[in-house]
Amino acid sequence: MMIKKVEPSLTERIKDHIDAITTAVIQAIKPDRITIEYPRERRRYPEVFRGFIVFDKNRCISCFRCAQICPANAIKMEFYDKYYPSIDYTKCIFCHFCVDSCPTGALKTSKVHDVAFKSLEEMHLHTTQITKVPDIVREDKVTVEYEIKGGEWKLVRKKELDRLEVEVPPPVVKPKKASCKEPESCLGCRLCVAICPQEAIKFDREKSMIKIDIDKCVGCGLCVRQCPMQILELKVVE
Amino acid sequence: MGIVEYLYGIFTSNMINIPLIKPIVDYLMGIPGVNFIVALILWRPFFAIAIAPGLGVLMLYLLWIVYFERKLTARVQWRVGPLEVCRPIRGLIQALADGIRYFFQEAIVHREAHRPYFIQLPILAFIPVLIPIMFIPAGEVVGIKSDYAIQLIVAFLALIPITIIAIGWASNSRFAYIGSVREAFMYFAYEVPFVIAVISMIFLYGSGSLYVAVEKQVVPGAILNPVAFIVYIIAMLMATSRLPFEIPEADQEIAFGPFVEYSGILFGLVMTLAYEKLYIMALLFTILFLGGWSGPAIPILGDLAPVIWLVLKTVVVISILVIVRSIYARYRLDQALRLGWSSMLGLSLVSLIIGVAVGWVL
Amino acid sequence: MDEYYLEVPVEPPKEVRSYFIPIPPEYVEETYRTDDFLVLVGPQHPGSGHMRLIVRVHGDIIKEVIPDPGYVHRCVEKLAENRLYIQNIPLVERPAIMDAANLNLGYVRAIEEALDIEVPERAKYIRVILAELCRIGTHLYDAAILAVFIGHTTGFMYPFGVRELICEALVRMTGARFTASFIIPGGVRRDVDNKVLKSVYDITFAIEKRLKTFEKIFVKNPTVVARLKDVGVLTKEEAIKYGVVGPFLRASGVEYDVRKVEPYEVYDELTWEVPVADAGDGYSRFLVRVNEIAQSLNIIRQCIKRIPEGRVISDQICENGKDIRGNLFDSLANIVLPAGEYTTLTECGRGTAIFTIVSDGESNTPYRLRLLTPGWLYLRGFMESLKGERLADLQAIYGSFGYFPPEADR
Repeated sequence: MMIKKVEPSLTERIKDHIDAITTAVIQAIKPDRITIEYPRERRRYPEVFRGFIVFDKNRCISCFRCAQICPANAIKMEFYDKYYPSIDYTKCIFCHFCVDSCPTGALKTSKVHDVAFKSLEEMHLHTTQITKVPDIVREDKVTVEYEIKGGEWKLVRKKELDRLEVEVPPPVVKPKKASCKEPESCLGCRLCVAICPQEAIKFDREKSMIKIDIDKCVGCGLCVRQCPMQILELKVVE
Repeated sequence: MGIVEYLYGIFTSNMINIPLIKPIVDYLMGIPGVNFIVALILWRPFFAIAIAPGLGVLMLYLLWIVYFERKLTARVQWRVGPLEVCRPIRGLIQALADGIRYFFQEAIVHREAHRPYFIQLPILAFIPVLIPIMFIPAGEVVGIKSDYAIQLIVAFLALIPITIIAIGWASNSRFAYIGSVREAFMYFAYEVPFVIAVISMIFLYGSGSLYVAVEKQVVPGAILNPVAFIVYIIAMLMATSRLPFEIPEADQEIAFGPFVEYSGILFGLVMTLAYEKLYIMALLFTILFLGGWSGPAIPILGDLAPVIWLVLKTVVVISILVIVRSIYARYRLDQALRLGWSSMLGLSLVSLIIGVAVGWVL
Repeated sequence: MDEYYLEVPVEPPKEVRSYFIPIPPEYVEETYRTDDFLVLVGPQHPGSGHMRLIVRVHGDIIKEVIPDPGYVHRCVEKLAENRLYIQNIPLVERPAIMDAANLNLGYVRAIEEALDIEVPERAKYIRVILAELCRIGTHLYDAAILAVFIGHTTGFMYPFGVRELICEALVRMTGARFTASFIIPGGVRRDVDNKVLKSVYDITFAIEKRLKTFEKIFVKNPTVVARLKDVGVLTKEEAIKYGVVGPFLRASGVEYDVRKVEPYEVYDELTWEVPVADAGDGYSRFLVRVNEIAQSLNIIRQCIKRIPEGRVISDQICENGKDIRGNLFDSLANIVLPAGEYTTLTECGRGTAIFTIVSDGESNTPYRLRLLTPGWLYLRGFMESLKGERLADLQAIYGSFGYFPPEADR
């Protein structure tokens, strides 16, 4: 598609001048404003919005997946009765890889995106602080939504407050348990025995093999990542 | 006490007449000490210079034009403009907040500047800007009545770019130098067509006195000589560095030109320089082309009515010029020079011929 | 008129020698002896982006410009060597934030070529929609920067207002306003349902309508035309010789677009045209990009009409074809590419981006990631087009090229 060279004549130039001036005058009389007067008005975001992360303690199996996948190293595991994640918001880039990695759905998103902290040390939120939506001062009285229909873009203002929590069903993941795929290659280093937080692996000295207790195993996968011969795997349980 | 009585005699012989506040004035004139001050304030030349259309209106105009320009530009650009300074009145005193902020900021004078000129020139630049106020009348209210008022105003307006070039030179910096050179070029571009357009209006009215100009405008001057009207408007945009001719103060190319090194209260002063020049040129424009202070007389205001008409018309003219800022981009220096020396010079010569012809008829 | 120089010993100003500027002092002295003037348009300047330009001016005519890029260099290529392949996805998106989906796509296609992964059809259509939305966002951003460089503040506000619609479309599809990190090897992270696609369809019409006002007040404005016409002309031979890429090459008469020459994703199944101009000046570079916005809107509408049902994640990666939640770590964290070198070409908003991944066959981090962004490729052509223009045209040509220093410096 060839774009021709533009050589406007005098009449076309005067017409362009008049077009520009009338456009500005029409906007001055009846403007198409798109300003949202934050913080008195707040925008309603969709349910998939990536905001601050909320943690559910009861679902966590301490598998360390979120800490190991975070591209910015923002998640550190803290020890209470088990290891739970804590998020450093000076580093978090809100990519939500951790939310996508969690096999039980213990991490989920929320619609909060504007928390103000008073110092850098406060931005490192411990596990006890991320179990609910971070508390913010809500000065908004009006919720604004974009309504786009038939080529027109309008802002619709409603006098109600937006709910900041997001209800999302947990992911459907088939439960997996650990199993050894090549027992004859086992070194006997017992690193898997040492690392299992449920103490579900025992080393059998006579047979020089490990024995995994299926009932205690939760499928966290720490032993799989630890084995130097890489002979452990997570298999789907039928 | 002879001097006081002599001065008192001069003041009372030429007092402004406003029937609305006449009872209060009469009562105050009875009190011995206060009557001298009241007579001074209501003495016509003092009233014209200090209150209206002089310094008082100038102060209010500066506060208002900054706010109005930002609000109008914001309305065209799909946004709201300054809002937060005093929320119940939607940010009306934003310019006052800016001015107070400039008072508290440190005015830095850098090492390479010529120190006495750097500090004193923004204040000296006010002299050619404020003197023309003495000559502009509004009805009977005038500072100095003169038959050569138009020529004097144009002559004083021609002194202002020299002070701007001197400001840029005193800053002694790379970008200030480029800005001063551009200001000198723009001065050449608009001065000759501007002066020829004003001379054509003098020929049309037959005299350089502003009273004769308003008396002869049965039909507004814009219809008597439309070519001079157009040339004057374009010269106003060029002279006060407004878009599309904001060349000496190009913000993105040479980082504000001659004013790049100013900060603090000195910056506040140099920013208002362009606005005050616009005010003077707009007052002259209203008197020459739009009928000046003529309008339906309001009986209770007496002598104040022509003043109000003049100020109102000037404010409308300036408001229309403000919207041009949001429509156009900035021309390049050689394009503006070409415009000034070819199209505008030709149009101004045509307006000179029209002025001589219509003036011979009138 | 002949000019000759008087041999008067002149001392250049000490600021040019005391700053850390990469030009030799002999050059500075030669400049001042031949009566030229050195203007430093530095990183802190309202009209230079984040890059230092050393401009040698003779009167008002520019004789030579020496660029000093690297002010925003952030070592993306070296940082990528210490992270897993999937952790590099947010990293390579960050150089040009508006163009995130295109850079994301180039990197992920290199991994897919190495591992021989087959991407399902629905995922390809969603990727194309994201790429075209980011392309429109880049062109709008560049138009706004061009407007502010020539002093037109309304032309700056309008494209950013329209870009809000693009961010709205991205938020409804992916959840994040620009750097979505949504494209992963094997498809996209989540499925997009039909209500959202219908709203994206409506958004394209709203964008077109708002852009009509923009066209009347900026694109056809006589002052803008006067400022950009016949300024910074690059002829066809010069453009090819200096290695210019993207819409700036198409404005000089060469019809080259990676999406037509080596099509990827579904670009060869859609009908669209490549806008080409032959004047090579600033105004035609701008007009090419304005027409590309219209073509991109056309492509998005065709994709939304033709998108098939099905999985969005390849079954080589994950069983659940609609959502990767819960399986991201197990499927993609420890991928190891076979040994070798894999290269892809992608058409980003500003030109061709070249991604090369070198893998040693054993580690789960790349051995070397080489990323060539379009800004770095056309920098030379940009500097050559400035010779012989006036000093005030520096900003106009800068804006018409749409040079973005963070993308060029990585």
